[in-house]
Amino acid sequence: MVTPPTSMGEPEAAGEQQEDRGGLRWWAAFISSPTLRLAVRRILIAIPVMIGVTFLTAVFLNLLPGDAASALLGADATPQEIHQLSIKLHLNEPFFVRYWQWLVGVFHGHLGASLQNTQPVAQIIGQHLPITFELIVYTSIVMLLITIPLAMLCARRPGGIVDRITMILSMGFLSIPQFVLGLLFVLVFAVIWKLFPALGYTPITQNIGANLQDFTLPAFTIALPFAGFYIRLLRADLIEQMESQDYVVTARAKGFGSWYILTRHAFRNSLISFVTIVGLNVAQLFAYTVIVEEIFGLPGLGYQLLAGVSDRNTPVVQGIVLVFAGIVVVVNLLTDLTYGVIDPRVRYGRSAV
Amino acid sequence: MAALLSETETTSSAQGAPVLAEVPSPRGRGWVHSLDIYIPGGFLLAMLFICFVWPYLYKIPPPVGGNILTAGLPVGSPGHILGTTVVGNDIMSRLIYGGRTSFEIIFAVQGIGLVVGGTIGVTAAMLRGFTETIMMRILDVIIAFPAIILVVVIVLGLGASEGTLIWALSVVGIPIFARVSRAGAVTVREQTYIVAAELSGSKRWRIALRHVVPNIMTSLLTFAVLGAGVVVIIEATVSFFGYGIPLPGPSWGNMIATGAQTMSTRPSLLLIPSIVLLATVIALNMLGEAMRRRWGTVR
Amino acid sequence: MTLNGSGTSGGTATLSGTAPAGAPNGEKPLLEVRNLVQEFPIRNAGGVKGGMLQAVSDVSFTLHAGESLGVVGETGSGKSTLARSIIQAPSPKSGEVIFDGINLVGLQRRQMERLRRHMQMVFQDPYGSLDPKWKVSDIVAEPLVAYGLGSRSQRKARVAELLELVGLDPEVHGDRRPGQLSGGQAQRVAIARAIALNPQLVICDEPVSSLDVLVQAQVLNLFEKLRQELGLAYLFIAHDLALVKQVSDRVVVMYLGKFCEIGPSDSLYTEPLHPYTLALLKSVPDPDPEIGRVQSEDVISGELPSPLDPPSGCRFRTRCPLAQARCAEEVPELRELRKDHFVACHFPLPGNDDRDLTAVGSTVAPDEASA
Repeated sequence: MVTPPTSMGEPEAAGEQQEDRGGLRWWAAFISSPTLRLAVRRILIAIPVMIGVTFLTAVFLNLLPGDAASALLGADATPQEIHQLSIKLHLNEPFFVRYWQWLVGVFHGHLGASLQNTQPVAQIIGQHLPITFELIVYTSIVMLLITIPLAMLCARRPGGIVDRITMILSMGFLSIPQFVLGLLFVLVFAVIWKLFPALGYTPITQNIGANLQDFTLPAFTIALPFAGFYIRLLRADLIEQMESQDYVVTARAKGFGSWYILTRHAFRNSLISFVTIVGLNVAQLFAYTVIVEEIFGLPGLGYQLLAGVSDRNTPVVQGIVLVFAGIVVVVNLLTDLTYGVIDPRVRYGRSAV
Repeated sequence: MAALLSETETTSSAQGAPVLAEVPSPRGRGWVHSLDIYIPGGFLLAMLFICFVWPYLYKIPPPVGGNILTAGLPVGSPGHILGTTVVGNDIMSRLIYGGRTSFEIIFAVQGIGLVVGGTIGVTAAMLRGFTETIMMRILDVIIAFPAIILVVVIVLGLGASEGTLIWALSVVGIPIFARVSRAGAVTVREQTYIVAAELSGSKRWRIALRHVVPNIMTSLLTFAVLGAGVVVIIEATVSFFGYGIPLPGPSWGNMIATGAQTMSTRPSLLLIPSIVLLATVIALNMLGEAMRRRWGTVR
Repeated sequence: MTLNGSGTSGGTATLSGTAPAGAPNGEKPLLEVRNLVQEFPIRNAGGVKGGMLQAVSDVSFTLHAGESLGVVGETGSGKSTLARSIIQAPSPKSGEVIFDGINLVGLQRRQMERLRRHMQMVFQDPYGSLDPKWKVSDIVAEPLVAYGLGSRSQRKARVAELLELVGLDPEVHGDRRPGQLSGGQAQRVAIARAIALNPQLVICDEPVSSLDVLVQAQVLNLFEKLRQELGLAYLFIAHDLALVKQVSDRVVVMYLGKFCEIGPSDSLYTEPLHPYTLALLKSVPDPDPEIGRVQSEDVISGELPSPLDPPSGCRFRTRCPLAQARCAEEVPELRELRKDHFVACHFPLPGNDDRDLTAVGSTVAPDEASA
């Protein structure tokens, strides 16, 4: 399966779970480990889901009025020209045949070529994925930097002034549509204060500063609504830990301050569920890059996806959907594997009897 | 024996009191403690009133067909309390009719989702086994799809209108409702009272209807309210990108889109619909959270 | 429909005649459980199979109409699993459950629904077994409605009758919901529902464990009263020997999914044969002079071993004060040492030298044969 997971270091992450043991024993342990079995199982489940997603994409694209030939040639084209181009692009072949050929190609490592300029889809993805990837990484950093400290400050004194203000703000954050937030950012920071550019993209290789400036508003636009959601989640979990768990009572009895207990004990225990939720929401994160790339004119994969849909450029759309779905599957898998790192009980497959 | 039994009766009732005290019913609290429901609920009721009833009580300018003479009026103009757009349409009127569209879409989409998705989810949970797995896998495929893209593609295919938006959003919503109600039904079906009902001889469909559905209903309604915020957002987003309610038809999404074009000269055209949209979503989320605190919910 | 007579289907012909724990007379038992095994897959995070937990290992017994059999064991001994396996929720892994001459294992859903009418259950958690959204009168009427018995008014009268029978006032309690009842009242509602169809057998899965001591006694009295008035047979499960004493004709002691001892109440309580039974008796805060004298080293110690990896040989040996080398090597089988009184122990308690009297040594269950 041609997916970018390998670039995301999935084998390394699985390997990290094992303690450093000698070569052969390491491998024996690795192959028989529940971790690997979990990974294989998940990937096997993911394959039909991904085939289903791409098939559905193809069905929907096929149902759309108009086709790539008329979209490419524009309104002036004669039916004759459209017909010729259709034959050239194999659009006249039955739908199932086209999908089947595409699927077979994927299993052989070919994602096909753009109908518009015959550029290989793999190349298009290679060009534009880094931009989306940078946006996701920047967004995630912003999101976590907002979420974790604020949630901890709230949980330190629930009902206090910091908590109340944060709760109101977070409700606002999580309720605001991303496109509204993006426009408000543009209005305030680009139009009124002129701190950041409203549109445009500078490659990171050209000018790192300008590049980061281009990404700042988009990253905050995606990050804030998520942060609003996560703050409430993490805060509630931390407060529950602080109020009800025996180890917290023990630590308090030992005379540790609440900040110490919060950072050393409660946060570690909340981390498992927090990582799970964040991981499961990566799919959502990708969906929002599509909106934000469109608003801020970032030439990422989401931008290409929307362009592909309006051009009826099936191979491009299929390829991008496949990549998105693949990344979501891998991130969900990594999330599951991360349990093992955080909570050793899961790693050794022990169940609480 | 009768004496013993009546004695038992009094003892048991005496013990009943603390049990009741431990689990106070929401109705038992004062209205002050229910403000978290009343405030957003009241706001939403007011919005519904303004959108659906107000235009019949008081004559308001039409949302479309404004002329160039009244174009670009500022906020507070006589007859146009929130001003007019660059083509001369009354902003207040467009907000009201746009809100009407939004609320109609919410009710339709969440209603369809609740009924169809709920039926699918509960059926899957009650059938168990292979059928359940297959049904959930199919839903997983649809859920794995980015919602906004799915909506855009369907609307493109069927032609943009309020009706197609409802169907498109339902395609997104039904699988999610199905998954949530299945999760709830799975929790309920493992309860002892389901085994007890089976032992009592109740048939599966009866158990589903009389035991499972009532017990997941509150959490499903909570989910519907929380999801309503998402429906409004997606509807507005799709309209913003020009795939939803087509201009000049009123919609908060396309009002924000047209407002964005003049944001440097007339920011109020962008800000007013944005604030109304935001306030509505906040109210829905607050109401949903309050309901969840009361009744709990299934994830 | 009734499968007549000697259950030759299982091929355990030796068993069919001699009912394991002594039928009072030779009549056909109401319930016969043969070589019942129930196991569950253990899954860790992510749903990977981690092994099988054998909750009930090869258990056999009979129960006659109107008889009450107490089942006692610690948490995790498999007694509740045994109860669930009998009512086929879920069906056991292997073995037979013969109710009124019909093997329930592998029976079709519809046939099962017909038979369940005669076999009801009362659960441990009274609130958990009552739908919180339903009114008490509807809960009690559910079996009547499900089997289409009587008209609406007849059902109403029957519900009132049942509620009165279990000591509740139909006027006061009928319209309440389970959340508005005390634990004892809720359990009475569950009992009323269980007897609504006039069943032959009521399986009681720790029905009083979650109740206060005073209420426990009242509900136990109710069980005893109903048994006398309605001629019910009970399979009465508890984790405490003292609780089942009042309502049991015979008692089974379970440990890690196996039977340790089974025998008539009088015999088992006064002269226990298994060290585990003795330990359980000594934990009962009811000092019986005869038992109270036993040496203190017989007191049970340690924790229940993991059912995932039960000890070899006799499963109790890791905690048994009398354990010897043989206990680790050989699985003890149930032997009838006294009339109707069976024990699975290589070294039954001393002071019971009358074992020669009935040294029939009839093996009850071909233990471990299937394992």
